[in-house]
Amino acid sequence: MNDQKKSASRSPRWLPPVLGGAACAALTGAAVWYDLTYNGGRLVYPMDSYAFRPTDIPMLLALALDAAYVLCLFALLLGGILAQRRQIAVTNRTRKLNPKLGLLGVLGLAGLAGFYTYPVYGLYFPFGFFAFFGFLGFFFEGKMSNILMDERFRENAAKAELKAYRTGFIIIFLLLVITGGHSGASSELALPILMTGIALTLALTLFLSEYLLYRYDHDDALDLEEEE
Amino acid sequence: MDGFTCNLKTYRVLKGLTQGELAELVGVRRETIMRLEKAQYNPSLKLAVDISRAVGAPIEEIFVFD
Repeated sequence: MNDQKKSASRSPRWLPPVLGGAACAALTGAAVWYDLTYNGGRLVYPMDSYAFRPTDIPMLLALALDAAYVLCLFALLLGGILAQRRQIAVTNRTRKLNPKLGLLGVLGLAGLAGFYTYPVYGLYFPFGFFAFFGFLGFFFEGKMSNILMDERFRENAAKAELKAYRTGFIIIFLLLVITGGHSGASSELALPILMTGIALTLALTLFLSEYLLYRYDHDDALDLEEEE
Repeated sequence: MDGFTCNLKTYRVLKGLTQGELAELVGVRRETIMRLEKAQYNPSLKLAVDISRAVGAPIEEIFVFD
């Protein structure tokens, strides 16, 4: 009973990082304003060489705070992943995941930005965002959330991963043959093609391993509607 | 699965267990028991022994390989 009350009164887990991030953003904003108003904006605009002045202190403190915040976020993320792994080992169940997280796969569309940045600025790294399409796999992983990982499930998982990795390797091999091996391909063109291809292959592999596992598992369930 | 016959259903019913109960006893999902009863899944030695103990029948009578 007391535990229920405690958990009800406890703030959500996402709240402290969000509040911390908001505080960091507000302090950084204030430091930028201070720097622009009282320090000539010397830490806001690009400079050739830096020499310390006491008026730089607010901005430096804000930057140090931001760095500490990012480190804390990484520590929280790592702690969460380790805790989840421990729980999976103890309960032998798949991790709890909301299928709606599959919507994060839409972030993969950010890769299309590369078609603008590459010809205009020569930047090809946005093509790497295509890898976010792999998050679509969360949709199928979420559908198999918190189920017992018995030996048949593990076999299916291994089978699905193997098939996904094999598909990925074949695509990467073909990509290398097409871009690298093609005598007429210029390095300027090969780089973005490889970046796009590898990002998409990574996404496909991540997605396929979850999708195939779901298919193997789900097909079993479908044709096994049987009386007890 | 060629050459594999599974008599698990017979022994399970004799023991008065449902698929769910047997699954819980041996630590697998109900779907795995269903697959086994249809002889569409080849169990590990450990699972076969666990099932044999749970239904109280010898392994070689539950799982028959030609």
